[in-house]
Amino acid sequence: MLVYFVFVLGIGFALKRYMRTSHDFFLAGRSIPAWVCGLAFISANLGAQEVIGMGASGAKYGIITSHFYWIGAIPAMVFVGIFMMPFYYGSKARSVPEFLRMRFDEKTRAINAFSFAIMTVFSSGISMYAMALLIETLGLFDGLMPHQYIFHVSVLLSAVIVLGYIFLGGLTSAIYNEVLQFFLIVAGFAPLVWIGLKNVGGWHGIQQKLGPSMTHSWRGMAHANTNPLGVEWIGMVMGLGFVLSFGYWCTDFLVVQRAMAADSEESARRVPLIAAIPKMFFPFLVILPGLIAVSVTSHMAAPTTMSASGVATPQHYKGLIPEKMNLVTGEAVVDSKGQPVYNYDLAIPAMLLHYFPTGVLGLGLTALLASFMSGMAGNVTAFNTVWTYDIYQAYINKKGTDAHYLWMGRMATVGGVALSIGAAYAATSFNNIMDALQLIFSVVKATLFATFLLGMFWKRTTGHGAFAGLLAGTGAALMHHGLTLPLDANPGIHGAWLHLVHVYPSEMAQNFWTAIFAFSVNMLVTVLVSLVTEPRPENELVGLVYSLTPKPVEGHLEWWQKPSTLAFVVLGLLVVLNLVFA
Amino acid sequence: MGLDIRIPLGLLFLATGGIMSVYGFLTRGSAIYEKSLGINLNLGWGLVMFVFGLVMFLVGRRVKWQDDPVTPRPWERKGGKH
Repeated sequence: MLVYFVFVLGIGFALKRYMRTSHDFFLAGRSIPAWVCGLAFISANLGAQEVIGMGASGAKYGIITSHFYWIGAIPAMVFVGIFMMPFYYGSKARSVPEFLRMRFDEKTRAINAFSFAIMTVFSSGISMYAMALLIETLGLFDGLMPHQYIFHVSVLLSAVIVLGYIFLGGLTSAIYNEVLQFFLIVAGFAPLVWIGLKNVGGWHGIQQKLGPSMTHSWRGMAHANTNPLGVEWIGMVMGLGFVLSFGYWCTDFLVVQRAMAADSEESARRVPLIAAIPKMFFPFLVILPGLIAVSVTSHMAAPTTMSASGVATPQHYKGLIPEKMNLVTGEAVVDSKGQPVYNYDLAIPAMLLHYFPTGVLGLGLTALLASFMSGMAGNVTAFNTVWTYDIYQAYINKKGTDAHYLWMGRMATVGGVALSIGAAYAATSFNNIMDALQLIFSVVKATLFATFLLGMFWKRTTGHGAFAGLLAGTGAALMHHGLTLPLDANPGIHGAWLHLVHVYPSEMAQNFWTAIFAFSVNMLVTVLVSLVTEPRPENELVGLVYSLTPKPVEGHLEWWQKPSTLAFVVLGLLVVLNLVFA
Repeated sequence: MGLDIRIPLGLLFLATGGIMSVYGFLTRGSAIYEKSLGINLNLGWGLVMFVFGLVMFLVGRRVKWQDDPVTPRPWERKGGKH
């Protein structure tokens, strides 16, 4: 049965091959309707970290995880749609680094293009690694082949599938597949949530079981010690809600690329707004299963009250969640206090296996795999575009024909996937290196938004300023990380590798404040350096800076077609959701 | 763009939903549904998916993007969400 669904998914891929519009490889010919781009927009973001990670934090921290959506995504998505999309789309830039070159200069673009290219390769590698590990842990292919091959086969198989459809159809094909994947994910997880809720007695059942700290998103946010995340609201709203999320949604080419493929500027502006609506309800699909998983009583002898640190009674399961096993010794992992450590990453897979009979189970697992692939494909398409336009065309071969660049794009796809495979294997052998890399990525991303904000809204910003700001921001973030430490961690990879100055109540708080520091320092340095360097003449900046760009003409649209109306609807819904779960 | 995304989307859901419904119908009352609290998820959800696929397919067949010079309006997004 399972094989059947994988096969069906394969047909989906095969179907896509009919629609390759070859010379529109990178931008999908800018001809895709807004709703399609909108769904691809969230689907590209809905990668491995999202589904597994959010389910895991749902199980670990509770509904408070929804802040990652309601604070950490929606406002930024509205902002990018209303304010930033006109620049991206209107400037005719083909990628985010190219926009940086138009607005600032070559070196700012280079730093962004290279760091971004490296980041996408590693994130798609990590995605692949996580998927293969999951397949191996769950034993999905156990009947088909010897156990030790499963990891390799999964890596190669996913790589080949993603490579196949991007190679053939470019961005169009990736976007179409992401839409299919979006619907598959919804179709696979919706019945899971429904039946899980039915089992634990609905939302009220969860509330009774887990207590208020797990089921209220804003309770205890006044102080870091009184909520499970260990973050106070300022760090939360500024760090996550402002710097990190705006940095991601507004500057990451991975998502922006989807909106730039839309068929008109109005559509491009609507893309993030349309995407925001389903995004708002995704917590119910990915966080709720985590909560249900810890609420289920079948494995528990006695009801447990969960403390903030997630330490429960000494059973070997917490709800449905198994203990984390050391893959080498086969023994359960315990923390420094001798308490078992739970493998929260298995929250959603465990739910699938627990509730779904054969048949739907295949669908659920397919949905899970679809989410991995959509994240990976997003990274690969972003990589091939940035590589071809911003590295290859800019620095290696400036005078190629269009057909040559198309060929290069295809080669870049192959290369990107190959490098991802390399990254996936690197992740298996050097776990710490991957942690460190992810840290550096988050640092790079956090600081970038300050550059864009100043570049788009302050015409005085100069290229030198932006470049210096980017470097200073990254440096500041690394410094901050090197001087602080989350509670209960040893100096080293978690921070304080220079000197211990300040202790944060949790790693998340440390991350958020690192981002805040990076952002502020970048902003400060950019402003200072801009003031002492020569500004560009204003006529060069038309279409690139807010005050010099004509406002988008909306006269031909009815009031309910305007992006801002949609934005208000989205924000209204957001407030309602926050009040309901406050 | 030669192909409306709703056609492959519809086909995918028609096939998946169809297979699930048939399988669910054949295994009525089987022990495998103890897991899902005695609910025949295959039949029920399979039918839901089948209908969704059918709607998508038919809408995709009827509306041809290439004949429609206007940008898609919100009302054309019907069925776009669950």
